[in-house]
Amino acid sequence: MSEQRAPAPDRDPGVEQILRARQDGSHVARKLPGPVAWFDLRNRSTGHLAFSLNRITGLGLVFYLYLHLGVLTLLLGGEDSWNGFLEVATLPLFLGLDVLLVFGLLVHGLNGTRLALVGSGYVPNHQKAMFWSLMVFGAIVLVYTALHVFGGE
Amino acid sequence: MAARAEHERASRSRSWRWTAITGVSLLVLVTIHMVAHHFVVDEVGGLRTYQHVLDYVSTPIIFVIEGVFLVAVTAHAMLGLRSVLLDFGLSERWRRLADRGLVVLGIGTVVYGFVLIGVLASRA
Repeated sequence: MSEQRAPAPDRDPGVEQILRARQDGSHVARKLPGPVAWFDLRNRSTGHLAFSLNRITGLGLVFYLYLHLGVLTLLLGGEDSWNGFLEVATLPLFLGLDVLLVFGLLVHGLNGTRLALVGSGYVPNHQKAMFWSLMVFGAIVLVYTALHVFGGE
Repeated sequence: MAARAEHERASRSRSWRWTAITGVSLLVLVTIHMVAHHFVVDEVGGLRTYQHVLDYVSTPIIFVIEGVFLVAVTAHAMLGLRSVLLDFGLSERWRRLADRGLVVLGIGTVVYGFVLIGVLASRA
């Protein structure tokens, strides 16, 4: 049964540990594979944290993709329909959601860049240093974006 | 058994490669998209007005860029969703079903997106 589930290179590293522990009854800190384990931060390394962040932000961005297509559909309703949306979209709450979107894009994009570079062998495997360096860079861009979003008229 | 394992390994490798290729291309395309839509526009808190949107998407080069962006983002999203589903340790049967479902969803998304861009560009 479990040999049908070959480990994928981008699969949660904890999944194999969990599946093995289920078979031989040994201890595992995280009980479930998949989304439940993404939120379980017990005994987690930076790599696991990065993996979980990538999954969570990825799902958020997929949700946003369809929300965005839905919002753009309002354009088919003409100028009045679009103007109605613009009034709502410029409320502080929605501007805050814009900043949240940029946060998701930065975390997912920068962490994905790290994964692509390390995974393809273009850079040495200094995962932890790369992850935190990119997150600091992302935080700076996020602050700039937030100032632009809330400061610009 | 060995042939199936080899097939799965090749499939995972292909999936990872395309996730990386679409991901890297998205870094460029998302930056263009975000800057063009939200950072160079002065009106309404950085959002384009109705006429601005029509003029923007009807520009041939922008139409092409937005089209490539749509395809890349959808492919990346479907590959990502597939990875998430694999985290659940799906059986072979459910995995095949998920693959087909994601292909249908991806094609539907791209077709709808192109219809949307096409209709808006034709109104300019």
